[in-house]
Order: sequence, then structure tokens, then C-alpha cells
Amino acid sequence: MIFKPKIIAFVCSWCLPPEVDITTPSLIRGYPKVRIVQVMCAGRIDPTIALETFLRGADGVLVVGCETPDCHYVEGNMQADRKVKMLKRLMALTGLDPERLRLEWASASSIETFAGIINAFRNQVASLGTSPLISKADSSILLNVSAAKAVVENFTLRVLAGREKGLTGDTNVYGERLSQKEFDNLMEETIEAEFIRHKIRLLTVGKPMSVKQIAAVAGMEPSLTLCHVVNMRRKGMITLDHVEGTTPFYKALEVG
Amino acid sequence: MMATSNAPKSKRKLPPCRVACPAGINVQGYIALLQQGKFKESVELIRKTMPFPAICGRVCFSPCQDACSRKNVDQPVGIRYLKRLASDIEREQGRISPVSIPKKHDEKVAIVGAGPAGLSCAYELAKLGYPVTVFERMHAPGGMMRYGIPDYRLQKYVVDNEIAYIRDLGVEIKTEVEFGKDITLDKLQKDGYKAVFIGIGAQTSQKLGVTGEDLKGVFPAVEFLRDISLGETTSVGERVAVIGGGNTAIDAARTSLRLGAREVLILYRRSQEEMPALPAEIEAAEEEGVQFHFMVAPKQIIGEGGKVKAVECLRMQLREPDQSGRKRPTPIQGSEHTYEVDSIIPAIGQLLEASCLPQAILDKSGRAIPADPMTLESSISGVFVGGDAVTGPASVIEAVGAGKRAAESIDRYLNGKDLKVGRDVETEETAWTKDWDKLTKKPERYTVSHVDVGRQKVSFKEADELLVKIRKLAMAEARRCLECGPCSECLGGEEMCEADKAVVDEALCTGCNVCAVNCPFSAIKKDERGVAAVDEELCKGCGICSASCPERAISMKKCADAQIMSSVMSALEREFV
Repeated sequence: MIFKPKIIAFVCSWCLPPEVDITTPSLIRGYPKVRIVQVMCAGRIDPTIALETFLRGADGVLVVGCETPDCHYVEGNMQADRKVKMLKRLMALTGLDPERLRLEWASASSIETFAGIINAFRNQVASLGTSPLISKADSSILLNVSAAKAVVENFTLRVLAGREKGLTGDTNVYGERLSQKEFDNLMEETIEAEFIRHKIRLLTVGKPMSVKQIAAVAGMEPSLTLCHVVNMRRKGMITLDHVEGTTPFYKALEVG
Repeated sequence: MMATSNAPKSKRKLPPCRVACPAGINVQGYIALLQQGKFKESVELIRKTMPFPAICGRVCFSPCQDACSRKNVDQPVGIRYLKRLASDIEREQGRISPVSIPKKHDEKVAIVGAGPAGLSCAYELAKLGYPVTVFERMHAPGGMMRYGIPDYRLQKYVVDNEIAYIRDLGVEIKTEVEFGKDITLDKLQKDGYKAVFIGIGAQTSQKLGVTGEDLKGVFPAVEFLRDISLGETTSVGERVAVIGGGNTAIDAARTSLRLGAREVLILYRRSQEEMPALPAEIEAAEEEGVQFHFMVAPKQIIGEGGKVKAVECLRMQLREPDQSGRKRPTPIQGSEHTYEVDSIIPAIGQLLEASCLPQAILDKSGRAIPADPMTLESSISGVFVGGDAVTGPASVIEAVGAGKRAAESIDRYLNGKDLKVGRDVETEETAWTKDWDKLTKKPERYTVSHVDVGRQKVSFKEADELLVKIRKLAMAEARRCLECGPCSECLGGEEMCEADKAVVDEALCTGCNVCAVNCPFSAIKKDERGVAAVDEELCKGCGICSASCPERAISMKKCADAQIMSSVMSALEREFV
């Protein structure tokens, strides 16, 4: 049987060709089959929505927006670009192939161009096969993606992402400005740290663990794990549950 | 004559295109619908404010375009062409007949003159549910739209179509009824008409006032154009001199070319800068080979055997501006020179035919109708006047504006309301200002007027053939609109448009300002309490703030995250093929 990838395409309503009937699976006779969810702007796609879509069983997520300068909301497309880049970095940490997510531009395109974009993505996802979240090929993937989702749901990364425009565009009150590279590095570090912390938090929900145990499950250096644990305690993400011998055991706290 | 805005004003900010339109068409609204390819809907939207989308799409002098904010970035949006294209597509697809409006009132209203002013007035009153009868002297309605504007600019079928819509709305049009002869004000009152609108236009060409004006071969422009429209054959000979610099002069010149004249001169007493004709029209005339002679005025017409032989002219020089603001031309002594011509078309102005009107309505000179500029009520109570009859020769859209204003006055008059209270007293500047830096990112795009429209050279066929083929281009052109006005301009509400609004959960908002930084329209700002507040007029519903809010405190009214996820889930549940 040929693999039919489950693809959700979030399409900005300004670049959806009028011929496309979003209620039926086949866009137009002979053209490829994906499910389209229409949104006002590609910039509307909250990273949470994309990850949730993967968790719900999609094999691929496509975001279609308008190219600069066609964006109806002036820079919604750039917002989408930043969010997708951020998500791809995060996905790389989870084991869910970042290639399963793609952002494409299709401003005021013809049905043929639009179908071409979808076809290309569909072929790519087909070559990647069923999502590991569905096939359960990798036991840690569900935890990883859940942690990633927790990262994008929480303040730290969202506020950094939301400030990108301000931090790299304008100077702050001290006349400083981050270069794009500096910002990207900051982003990278934040994504990694946040990902690990949320993973630790999810691991310890209702199941207190020692630093060594966490390090073993998460595949990390115990010393680095300890750093994160200390940081997380300060932030109120986890707390000391009990001590066995001289080993402290930690458990997660509800965030927020 | 410069257009003054009669557009409804309020404290609500309006886009400059709408403010500039004498009929107050919500331009941004129909442009927004065009962006989505909703051609029919956009024409329907125009019809909410005026009945002539196809006509104005062809002949309007488009003050909206002159006011368009896009000119601050590159070039204004090609609004007139877009309107025309939308109406062409509507005609192609078949127009939906108007919903019949129940007669809510018994008071009959008579309209004298089926030109743009009279018909607009009738249209507005019919929409309000009044029984309206229009009386027209000629054999078909349309006024100057039919008998003044030549076919190559405005085909008769276009006029017919638009008038058919007004008829479908229940307006009765009686043609070949002459005011002053077949009907009078007294007779109308006796017949039970409770209010009258007079929009008889300015139907007589102004005389040059030089000797030789009665010679054979002198064709006053208005009468000349009317005869051509009526299908009468007029021979203008080989060389024609048109005198004047307005649109009528250009129309007469281009018409003469189409009648077989080999050489057509336009003699104008000021310079090209002062010409009141539309620049596009001047350009088209030049392209067709019309020769312009500026700074000349006729001194006398020389005849031979009772027929025009030549026109003797004087050179002019421009002096300090007169009351109209244009430089006053004065003749240079001894600069006489002649142009040998076969016919002369004076097109220096048009006058009201006052003879058909009762003396009581005219001013002391007996040549003009005084009217209240706001209500358009004449000196006779219950009789309203508007259009060219009051302003002198102007444009279709200004006449439409006058007709609409008169209709409101008549509605108030018949309901015993004050004619003036609450009308147009707001003088606050309503034009919109925006963060231009943000917008200059959008570079110049296609302009429909740049498209080679295959202008027909010398024929009575419609010039500027705009094809439906360029529909896609039109949508792209419409997207050049900067949307300076609020989002609800299309009046469509939720069923027309998917526009959404952001809502802030104040309990969650930490005042981090991320939303304010990221909103492309500065529609969300911290209020005095430090909590994000959405300006619904500015919010266009893109949802960027919702997707960026670090505390996820912002949601969208219609398309919240939960709604998107439920679409995703129902999509995933279905079969993938």
C-alpha cells in the first residue's frame, strides 16, 4: 500500500487560490491531497498549534504565507518565518525531523503553483514516512515533543521570540542592539536550556527522581543536569520531594 | 471646478479616498472586496452609496485617486480602473436584480431631469421607500451621461444598464415630458407631488461673444455633442477649431476627428497648466493628433458666403489670478493672427436654461438658481435643486453627491424634520496618518493604468478596452491599497469578511509590550493601567499578537487557538487520500 501522509496545511486566506475548496480533500481534480486549515495570516500560527498538530497525529505541517512585500499584514510573513525557524531548531532536539515542517510563500499564486508547493512537500513527507509519534519507533519521542510543546507554551522562549523584532531592529535605552547572529545564538541557547528543563519537569511529574536518574534517562552529563535542576528549583519548576540516604529526589511543580 | 467634499463626516476616522469622493463612496471597502476577488460584492457595495459604478468607472475624474495615501509611497491605487473592471465583470456574470423595496411612504416625489443628479436623488428616495417619478425632456434618460459624453468614453449600453437598475428599484421614469411646457411646478403640486427636485443641468453652450458666431459652421459644443449622440450626421469639414480647455472641448475635438476632420485645433486662452480637462483626456487627444494652441483667444470669426472661413485670434498673456484662482488672461495688442478652418466649436462653458423655470425660483439676474449649499433647498419650500443647474458644468460624481444630499433633505422635509440639524457640521480633519516607514517596504506594483489597454485610435468604439483577462492583475492592484481606514469599511460585517479581532485576557496580561511591538498596525497598546488594550478600529485580525503573546493572554474572537485546533482535529480524523 502506498503511504498517504497526513498533512495539515495552514494557509493564509490571502494566498489561497479561489478555486481551492477547503472542505474537500482533493483540492481540484488531479491535484494533491492535503487538509487545509485556513487562517488569516501565516503569522497567526502559534508554535503551540504546530506542535499540537504533530502530537495529534500529523505526518507533516505546511505553513503557507505571502512573500514580502505581498503580506496583507505588512510583516505577518516575517513573523511566520521567525516562528517556523524557531520551531525547526526545537524539533531538531526532539528527534522529530524538522523537515516535516515547512514554510512556503505563495502570494496570489495560481492553483498550479499552489498545487506544486503542496505536491513537493507531500513528496518530502512521504519519503520521511509515518511520523515517529504515530509509529512509536522512538520511545522518547513523545516525551521530547511534549517537552518542546511545553517550551513554546511558556513565557521564557515566547518573550524572547516576541522581542526579536525589537532587539534586533531598534536600539534599547542604552543604545545597544543585538546583531542577528547574536540574537540567533541567544535563541539557540535558550531553546536548548528550556527544552532540557521542560523535559526534566515532565520526567518528574508525579515520579520523584534523583539527578543521576534524570541524567541517565535524558542522556545528559549529571553535572549539567544538576545545573539545570538548581536553576529549575530557583524558578519554581521543581521541588525537593524527599531524600534517600544522601540523595535528594526532585519532583515537578505546576508551572505558572 | 474643484470638488468639495460632501462626504459624510464624523469623528470616526475615514480613509482619504472616501473623504475626497463627492458622493462619499467607501472606496477602501470595495477595494478590500476586490482584493479577495469578490467583484460582484464590490459593485453591490458601491451601489449602496451611488447608482453608477460602471459609469464612474469610466468617466469619473476620480478625486479618490488623487487623495490616495499610496501616492506617498509610490503611485496611487488605480481606483477608477478597478471600479470599471468590477462593473464589467458584474455585467459579464449577470447582475442580480435589486431586492424590491416596500413602499414605506405615501408622499410622491417628482424629479425633473433624468441626469446623474436627478437619478441619484430618485435612487436614494426609492431606497427609502418613496414613490418617485422622474420627468425627462429627451427621449431617453441619462442627461449629460447620454447626450454629453461621447460614445468612445461612455457607451450607451452602460448608461442603459445602470438606469435599468434604478428602474428595477421601482423608480418611474417618464421621458419626453418637458418642464415648463408639459409640466410645471403648480401642476406637479396639483398632481399630488409633495416635494420636487430640479436637476435640469446646464444645457446651453455659452456664447463666445464675438462677431460671426451665427455663421454656418459654428457648432456650440453641447448641442454638437447632443446631436452626435442622437445619431444626427453633422459635417465638420477638414479643419476644425475647438475653443475652450475643458472636458467638453476635448470631447468635441476627439469627436470631430471621428467625424472625419483631418486637422483639429484646440484654442485655449490660458496655458496647459490651467486646463480644466482631465490630464488623461488631454493626453489621449494629443495621441490622436489633436493640436493644442495655448494662450490664444478668438477675436472674430471670419465668414465667406455665410459660412465659416477662418477664426482670427489674439495672443494672450497671463496676469494675476482671478476669483477662480486661475491666472487671468489678457490680450496682447496687435497680436492678431488667423487660423483657416471649416468649422468652429465653441466649448467655453455651459449655462442653465432658465426659461423653463418659474421666476420665483431664480435669482435677480434671472440666470441662476440660488440654493442652500447644505440642504439644496431653493427659495420655494419643498423644491430642491442640484447638479450642474446650480454649480455650472461639473462632473458626474459631483452631481451624484448633490442628488444624494437633496434626497436626504427631501426625506427630512417630508417627515417634518429640520433640514439642517446634525448635517455635516463636523469640520475636524479626518484624514488618516500612518507610520509610512513601515509601509515603504511595499514597493511599487502593477498599476492597471499601466497595462496596455489597446486604445482604439479613431473610432466611436469604446476606447481603453479593459479585459476581464486582467482580473488577476486587478486583484494584485487592489492589494496595493494601504488600508488607511478602519477595517469595517466594506460594511460587510462578518459574512463578507473574515476579519477577526484580538481580545486580551487582562488577568493574564503582564504588560510586557510584546504585542505592541509586533502588531503591524499599532492596534494594540498598553493602557494607563499597563494592560494591553486593542483598538478595534485598527485591528485587522491577523492574530500575530495572539501567536506572539508570551503569556498567551491574547486570543482572537473568531479564530482562537482552540478553533484552529478543532479544525485541525476534524481534518486529521478524515481520510487522507
